[in-house]
Amino acid sequence: MTKNHSTSCSRRRFLQHGLSGCGVAAGLPLFLQQTNLAMAANTVTGVPNGNADRILVVVELAGGNCGLNTVVPFEQDEYYRARPTIAIRKKSTLKLNDEFGFHPYLLGWEQLFKDGKMAVVHGCGYPNRSRSHFESMKFWHWASPNNPQPDGWLGRLSNDLPLPEKGPMIVNLSDKMSGAVRGSNHPTVVFDDPNQFVLESSGEQRAVFREAFKKKQESGNPALELVRRIASTANQSSDFIRNACAEYKTKRDYGFGKIGKSLPRIVAQIAKGSGTRIYYTATGGFDTHGRQTATQGVNCMNIGDALLAFQQDLEAIGRDADVAVMVFSEFGRRVKENSSKGTDHGAAGPMFITGKHVKGGHYGTFPSMTDLYEGDLKMTTDFRSVYATMVKEWMGLDTAKSLLRADYPTLGVFA
Amino acid sequence: MTLTEYCKTRQAGRFGVLGAAIALALVCVLDCTTARTQANEPDWTKAAGPRSWVDDLTPIGEADWSYQRAAHLLERAGFGGTPHEIKQLAAMTPEEAVDHLVDFQKVPNASIPEFDHSGIWEGMFPGKDEHLSFDGIMRKAWVTGEHMGVKAGKDRSKPLWLQPINDLCQYNMAVSPWEWDRAEIWLANRALQTKRPLEEKLALFWHGHIAIENFKIEDYRLMLQQFELFRKHANGNFGELLKAINRNPGMLIYLDGRFNEKTDTNENYAREIFELFGLGVGNYTEQDIKEAARALTGWKVHGLNPWFKRADFDNGRKTILGKSGNFNDEDVVDIILEQPACAKFISLKLYKFFVRGDLNERVNEELAAVLRSQQYEIKPVLKKIFLSRDFYSPATYARQIKSPVQFMLSSYKKLGIREAPGVPYYPKVIEQLGQAIGDPPNVAGWPGDKDGGTSWLNPSTLYQRGNVMRHLLQRESAGRRYWQLFAPPNKEIAAKIRATGKASEAMKMIGKDGKTMSPSSKKMMRNQESNNELGVYNAYVMINERIKKVPLTGADIDLAKMIQDAGVTTAEGAIDYLELRFLRVRLADSDRVAVTQFLVERLGGDRIDYSSRWSKTNLKQALHIILSLPEYQLS
Repeated sequence: MTKNHSTSCSRRRFLQHGLSGCGVAAGLPLFLQQTNLAMAANTVTGVPNGNADRILVVVELAGGNCGLNTVVPFEQDEYYRARPTIAIRKKSTLKLNDEFGFHPYLLGWEQLFKDGKMAVVHGCGYPNRSRSHFESMKFWHWASPNNPQPDGWLGRLSNDLPLPEKGPMIVNLSDKMSGAVRGSNHPTVVFDDPNQFVLESSGEQRAVFREAFKKKQESGNPALELVRRIASTANQSSDFIRNACAEYKTKRDYGFGKIGKSLPRIVAQIAKGSGTRIYYTATGGFDTHGRQTATQGVNCMNIGDALLAFQQDLEAIGRDADVAVMVFSEFGRRVKENSSKGTDHGAAGPMFITGKHVKGGHYGTFPSMTDLYEGDLKMTTDFRSVYATMVKEWMGLDTAKSLLRADYPTLGVFA
Repeated sequence: MTLTEYCKTRQAGRFGVLGAAIALALVCVLDCTTARTQANEPDWTKAAGPRSWVDDLTPIGEADWSYQRAAHLLERAGFGGTPHEIKQLAAMTPEEAVDHLVDFQKVPNASIPEFDHSGIWEGMFPGKDEHLSFDGIMRKAWVTGEHMGVKAGKDRSKPLWLQPINDLCQYNMAVSPWEWDRAEIWLANRALQTKRPLEEKLALFWHGHIAIENFKIEDYRLMLQQFELFRKHANGNFGELLKAINRNPGMLIYLDGRFNEKTDTNENYAREIFELFGLGVGNYTEQDIKEAARALTGWKVHGLNPWFKRADFDNGRKTILGKSGNFNDEDVVDIILEQPACAKFISLKLYKFFVRGDLNERVNEELAAVLRSQQYEIKPVLKKIFLSRDFYSPATYARQIKSPVQFMLSSYKKLGIREAPGVPYYPKVIEQLGQAIGDPPNVAGWPGDKDGGTSWLNPSTLYQRGNVMRHLLQRESAGRRYWQLFAPPNKEIAAKIRATGKASEAMKMIGKDGKTMSPSSKKMMRNQESNNELGVYNAYVMINERIKKVPLTGADIDLAKMIQDAGVTTAEGAIDYLELRFLRVRLADSDRVAVTQFLVERLGGDRIDYSSRWSKTNLKQALHIILSLPEYQLS
């Protein structure tokens, strides 16, 4: 076993794949670039809609996913010292290379990774991190610290896009709306069960509703105006979405998790020809303060199965080239385990990107296991670099800089 | 002041029936042009106050009082009411009305029944450390062959030999949530029957402010216990409430306080008492959290009770927010209360819940000053809020989006329903609409409690609200959808497994075969020691036999009688009446015309024949339209 791995490891891993097309900065650590270095712009298509067929799916792992037990650094003794009861043994992990292995229950992701369709971005976080779920989630949802804005980052992204002909601007498959998709231009469509997304009525009633939900004279009451906009969006999108979900039946096994229910509904809309380019879904249960092993096992099974089946379904309908998935959590967890066989809120953690166009592999630097901040991993990749990657490299939009209020280097994840 | 206005302010409530009669006579003699004689008769006059009232905490005067404003108060400080209930409130002075609601201990409330437990508690183990997760139990049982006295099959080579343990686990996981459904209905019925609506509303406020979740405490009795605590301290002293929460078994489990020990601290609760319950982000340091966690050590849970294990308490010196000493859990609360940030934080939360989502800094300071000067008593600050001009200003009035619970309960109240019916099934409905009581999204409670309600609504929940009103008004429109909630899950799968003895056969039934199965399912299929689907079915059968049933009957609503009793004879009059009874803001003219036209066309004329079934159905359909429109979402 390799000993004394700490700092040399992080340097060696450093920017193994990142920043292709950004020659200027290729030798600089990301955390130095993040502040103000303007990067050479990546290739963008130059059309206002970017790559108009490309769809971004964002998956939120709510609660703070334990990154160290997701992508296990099995050669680092520090890891085993810090987690005497909950560390995952080297031989149990699903090996990705000679340093890292997935959690043993992430069988689905193992397959995606081996097929070269998954990028693991190490050490993602933001400066001056907060250990509060809510503060931290605000950072990720709004990507605009110290600069309060009404719209989340995906809401702002959508403000620059034309309203699709079919389907709504953003679809959030969840029982509640995420801050990330809050947009002031178009109410986001949020639903859990598509069968519930219908206004039951008799034919005569429907005629009244249809008129009532049309645009009205401004009432001067902002709450009423908001509800009216919501009603109007509902009126425009419910039939399309319900029919799409009713018509599409997946043959794949998405596992037992909640995420396994939402992802096939996204496929259904894509299959129906929806013009929606931003989908968002969240799945919870990652706040593993106690007895982490059991909870995380189930979580890994659910997200692993669901994302693999999603990719396979997209291949089956011939749309895998048009979709990329970005997975994040609001923070990783404390390096040292706690007295309850769990871990407390930490800082940096890995992000994941999957899709046909993804150049699979490792990106960014694995954080040092010894040079910690208050017991937490230090971030090595600003998450906004990953956002910028999705906006520029994937969506082909030139708005990342204005969206994120600074020019974050992209990672060269997409071929 | 004209005599009319005089009469409006000095109404029946203060002078009695005779006074009202004299006032009426005077008005008729002296001001024959005004039909309106009393401030407490339902109409649309004196709704929102002038713009100048925004951010003004000056109390409104007697002359400012009206039926509409009383209705506004009852909606926000309670769950709305029938015209009769609103009139009673409007007949008081504003001070009397606010006192009546806020100082509710003075109001007798004997008739509320206790919760009727089904009495099946074997599956619940609040706070027992040996209560392992499902995975852990199965792994342990694989070794020992038993769990909690239930034995696995003897022959390990037989498939499903561990099934009895799986069944038990599924039972234990399902029994508390199922009984909690009944408890939610009971809580709803309390709100409908109580003479102290603000007590129940405050319990909901505190439940959102100091949130715990059923999924983690795993015993509904702890949730009920916490609601009892919230009612007890609802309008009392915030410090006492927080001290009680420190030792509340549900909280000790939910935020891991019971694992917080001298030798190994757990900061989970300490963090939230600062961040979410007492101070807000930015008013403490990470070091304060660590030190406070030490002061909070030693509290455990045994059964439904807390207990103090002295050996686990950190008896050393701690430094919290600049103060040093050998502090304990109560000291932590006292130190929090000393922070000016605490009073600002709590008044902000109250304001956001009861008034609106954004609070002017100066107003916040004024309200915080009231809290501080009254040693964190909640009543004075609530009275200040409910009497303020700001509360009746156009920035507040009909500007809140109702929470799902408010939407349901105020609908029941306005329809005169005193018990939540089985259809629509209330626990399921509020869950789908985004506010499962007992299961907030996380420890921060519901965002809708803090943002003026804007996050409650999206295109899908707006439609669902309309649908639920339809099912409430017309039981038959719901079909079997609520009945299906109680249908046996996995019945066919269970039968197949029993017949073949093989779980793999059943997995094929739900479309999981070798070709399409996920990697995890394949892995799980390799051992057929037990099957989850079968376990869920067996657990269902066990619970269903023993739990008290909720009858899936609809509400008895006689809309025609309600309208007829109000002296209405025409379709147009009926729509006007329903608008005034159910809405806090008037419909757009075009919508009112459209709904009226709908009713006229359905009735074949403007006159209502109250004896016909047809009229009754169509009045309900017209009301369903009104209750599905954007205006009905506002409080």
